[in-house]
Amino acid sequence: MGGAVTGRWRLALLQAAAPVLSIAFGGLVASGIIVAIGKNPLEVYGLMLRFSLTRSDSLAAILLKATPLIFAGLAVALAFRANVWNIGVEGQYYVGAFAAAFVGFSVRGLPAVVHLPLAVAAGAAAGALWAFVPIALKLRRGAHEVITTIMMNYIAAAVVLYLLADVFRDPAQIGTPRVRTPLFADSARVPPLGPALARLGLDVPAHSALNWFLPVGIVACAVAAYLLGRTRFGYEVRAVAFNPDAAETAGISLDRIRFTMFLASGAIAGLVGLSDILGFFGYFDIDFPKGLGFLGISVALLARNHPLGVVPAALLFGLLDRGAQGVQVFAGVPREVIAILQAVIILAIVVGYELVTRYVRVQRKLEAERAVAPGEPAPVAGGG
Amino acid sequence: MVAALLNLALLASAVRLTVPILLTALGAVYTERGGVFNIGLEGTMIMGTFFGAAATHAAAQALGGAPSALAPLAGMAAAMGAGVLFSLIHAVMSVTFRVDQLISGVALNLLAVGLARFLNILLFGVATQSPGINGFPPLAIPVLRDIPALEPLATGISPVIPAALALVVAGQWVLRRTVFGLRLRAVGENPHAADTLGIDVARLRYAGVLISGALAGLAGGYLSIEQGRGYLEGMTQGRGFIALAAMIFGNWWPLGALGASALFGYFDALSLRVVAIGVPYQFITVLPHIATILVLAGVVRRATPPAADGVPFTKEEG
Amino acid sequence: MDAIVELTGITKRFPGVLANDRISLAIAPGEIHALVGENGAGKSTLMKILYGLYQPDEGTVAVRGERVVLDSPRRAIALGIGMVHQHFMLIPRFSVAENVVLGAEPARGGRLLADDARARIAALAEQYGLAVDPDAPVAGLSVGEQQRVEILKVLYRGAEVLILDEPTAVLTPQEVDDLFANLRRLRAEGKTVVFISHILEEVLAVADRITVLRGGRVVGTLAAREATKAQIAEMMVGRPVLMELAISPARPGEVALEVVGAVVAGGRGRPAVRGVSFAVRGGEIYGIAGVEGNGQSELVEALVGLRPLAAGRLVIRGRDVTRAGVRAIRLLGVAHIPEDRHRRGLVLPMDVWENLILGHHGRPEFGRGPVLDRAAVWRYAADRVERFDVRTPSLATPVLALSGGNQQKVVVARELGFAPAVLIAAQPTRGLDIGATEFVWTQLVEARAAGLAVVLVSAMLDEVLTLADRIGVIHAGRITAEFPRGGASPRDIGLAMTGARPGERTA
Repeated sequence: MGGAVTGRWRLALLQAAAPVLSIAFGGLVASGIIVAIGKNPLEVYGLMLRFSLTRSDSLAAILLKATPLIFAGLAVALAFRANVWNIGVEGQYYVGAFAAAFVGFSVRGLPAVVHLPLAVAAGAAAGALWAFVPIALKLRRGAHEVITTIMMNYIAAAVVLYLLADVFRDPAQIGTPRVRTPLFADSARVPPLGPALARLGLDVPAHSALNWFLPVGIVACAVAAYLLGRTRFGYEVRAVAFNPDAAETAGISLDRIRFTMFLASGAIAGLVGLSDILGFFGYFDIDFPKGLGFLGISVALLARNHPLGVVPAALLFGLLDRGAQGVQVFAGVPREVIAILQAVIILAIVVGYELVTRYVRVQRKLEAERAVAPGEPAPVAGGG
Repeated sequence: MVAALLNLALLASAVRLTVPILLTALGAVYTERGGVFNIGLEGTMIMGTFFGAAATHAAAQALGGAPSALAPLAGMAAAMGAGVLFSLIHAVMSVTFRVDQLISGVALNLLAVGLARFLNILLFGVATQSPGINGFPPLAIPVLRDIPALEPLATGISPVIPAALALVVAGQWVLRRTVFGLRLRAVGENPHAADTLGIDVARLRYAGVLISGALAGLAGGYLSIEQGRGYLEGMTQGRGFIALAAMIFGNWWPLGALGASALFGYFDALSLRVVAIGVPYQFITVLPHIATILVLAGVVRRATPPAADGVPFTKEEG
Repeated sequence: MDAIVELTGITKRFPGVLANDRISLAIAPGEIHALVGENGAGKSTLMKILYGLYQPDEGTVAVRGERVVLDSPRRAIALGIGMVHQHFMLIPRFSVAENVVLGAEPARGGRLLADDARARIAALAEQYGLAVDPDAPVAGLSVGEQQRVEILKVLYRGAEVLILDEPTAVLTPQEVDDLFANLRRLRAEGKTVVFISHILEEVLAVADRITVLRGGRVVGTLAAREATKAQIAEMMVGRPVLMELAISPARPGEVALEVVGAVVAGGRGRPAVRGVSFAVRGGEIYGIAGVEGNGQSELVEALVGLRPLAAGRLVIRGRDVTRAGVRAIRLLGVAHIPEDRHRRGLVLPMDVWENLILGHHGRPEFGRGPVLDRAAVWRYAADRVERFDVRTPSLATPVLALSGGNQQKVVVARELGFAPAVLIAAQPTRGLDIGATEFVWTQLVEARAAGLAVVLVSAMLDEVLTLADRIGVIHAGRITAEFPRGGASPRDIGLAMTGARPGERTA
């Protein structure tokens, strides 16, 4: 059926166009704000793109910034795919980062081959643990996971602050304004990616902190995509997300699926901060980057909760962030304009996806009706 | 210990801290009774805190500095207006475009943070706080204020407090005894039924969302004008979410939300006063948040939300 | 005749479907007019156009001789047209009074006048013999009482023309009699009634005139006095209706499913199933007949493991599965055609091939270890689609795009696809046209011939009488009577549905 095939392509194109149009819409709104503060949007965007794409250190900066976002986006996407709302990535990555930090500075004498994976495992475990409370309460008591995960975020901040400032503060730093843990052992640090990229012919500035967590993140996304798309478990996740009643009737355990995905989400969330602390800082301090959890939500939404879409979405946000730096320094536009741009993009995406999905649904129905051979009575619309 | 827990100053503090949660919870009742889940109330409160402070500051400057009630009044009005406009976005997304209401709310919270920072920079040059402002001249209860023992409770009362209580009582009455209240509840329970009776589902849902925006904005304004005496980034501290828990705990009725909010307000007050019983202060600050989780875990399914809460309404094609 | 309502040349299209095709119909004032047709004939659509819920693509509507545009229910209500929907549009949490006055509340300055409302409703109830307690919450009312509330809603707004959409579908025979008495009373008070049905006995019992629709067109209008059931049936279907089903004599084998003293909780703490016992052998169909709402849904859920048994025992193929879950019961070879295919039977956004393995996706033939072998599933799905003649553009079409009949075919194809030993079919032909219904019946008979133990739960008397070897009638959570094939007339069964024992006379 030729008509059906070209129709299918057209629908796929439409679905791909949605994010592009949303970004354009976001750009439009941000333009309005830029004009309002007396600058020329075209100049600003031009500067932003030039800064992000043509400077030699920009590529590394974008990749570096995108690395935690890949983990954050993947974490959120995993939970959203099972229709459980993990808004607690923010808190989960704090505790995960601190747990990894703890392994990093408190354990000495281990070879890197053991120490580094141990720190990573600690991060994942802590993140999963932090996710355990909300999902257990949801499944056992019906407590709304959005509110409980958000509460856990605040509690995580408090706990980590306490541990950082009052328990594990580096004694050498007392008396200074710096509040941080002791330095990690070298065996817990993740090696930089620069040398490997150089062998591929890509030049990364010597001072870049780009590290192996980037390929780890990409691989994690690929693995997740495979698991969700090609395994029986992934099939069950889809059934549970689309129609829990039918899934239950088919003998699928709703609780098991939701629990597993939520915990997996927490575990990945625990890894979000590791690129920064194990790759760049070497310690965990009070100025630890915040807000990555919420950016993760934005990345996941842009990626439509698809693990493979998380990587380009994270790169886009990395690009925007880099551009925001440049725009702030060179054009005097506050970087918050970019934050607003990101939020508007999300809003536009969500509307766009909704409209496209509805359109596709109607088209599919028409296609099915046309599939009835001529001469047959027309299939009924259900209900006379 | 009991005396310490029921200390009058503590109770007075609890009353003051209940207000922002209460107003937002009241708003939440309205939007959810209409069937729209609004998790963006935190962001709406943030807008309220910012615009409340900014407008008060601007008005105070315009009025030449003599302390009066006009500046904070302008601030509260601005806070309310900002809340309405901000929640309008959620209404359009949720009711007209029928987007997933959770995502819309989360996106709005993100927007609010960025917007507040940006506007603050624009107006005051820094990202995270505004200049200090004065609030309303405080009230005192006529007879009781002369009793020294009752001083903490009877004096220093912000006029917003009685206003908030009045709003709650009015809110309960409107929901139970007016045409609007009946129709709003109908739309949240079974929008199709309401639709077949000629009721405009969309219009009522918009009303619910905008009312929640106004009230959350008001709550934010109170926070920055009366409590914080200025805008400070992050001053809402998750109260927009705690308010949702209060609404659930209050079984989606204004009077119930009042009781629940009072509970959270008490914990909030406790957290400011309980110093050094060996518990690190960081944990005290999150006492309300822990309480929220406990409440949600304990409430179980005894409370039932409006039947069509969170479900977008699609008219049958015709 | 000066028609009170006249529809001329009404045409209405939905994506891919011509629901109404140039329909012209005149309703006389003060008559009870029945609109009859198979599922999907266009009756509901036409009436929704009259009520302003849909707008016609072509054609006009005239009320009391004047052309009108009914662009919303409000318009229709203002013109004196009211509709009682098939699926009640009531708010369970509200009281009767609140439900009746919603949208037309007596009020002063925005304030509800509750006493006014109560008084008006009491007066109406008195006038038309519709006994209700205005303050009772609707959630606690019986189905018949809820319907009375719906009728009051319509009368409260001054309806002169009442449209009832399949009003008897959820009523017991006694409640049907009550309803018809009310309809005659309405007619005596000068109202006009249009009612939609596909149950011919009832239509002949109460209507003055009958209009038959088929495939979106009017086939004809006749006076009820002159019509016969066979005549109407033929007009509805377009061919003589007798469906010859070759049913071989029963040769029951071992007991495959046995339930003893089952008690199952319903909503609101009351038990929905209050002590049900029966046994089904391989090779026989045990039909459970009853009006919906008598515990069948809960019983079915208990049989497949979706709901726990509060008391009693369930034994399937010799194994006690009283405490077992859905999965364990499925693994014993129990297949289930759920009563609501959209809710429990299919995952609508998923494709046809995906839905065909729902519940069986763990089978070794569909993959190695955790990985799903798409090619193998695809092959299997293609075979099923062909065998069961599922009309779909491709295996990758989302199942929500298919017609109701084809969707049910997917469910049946899946459930019968793995040689089950027991089949539990709940309302399997609900919402299907005659072609799809015939298909499902054939599948059930073939399953029986293949030695399956079949439990058929149905509210359609025809279905149970035609297919079942033994019939158990369920009423208020108990099996009140059992009959062998041919051992009961429809009247006997109808009586048993009201709880009366056979031979008893109802008051």
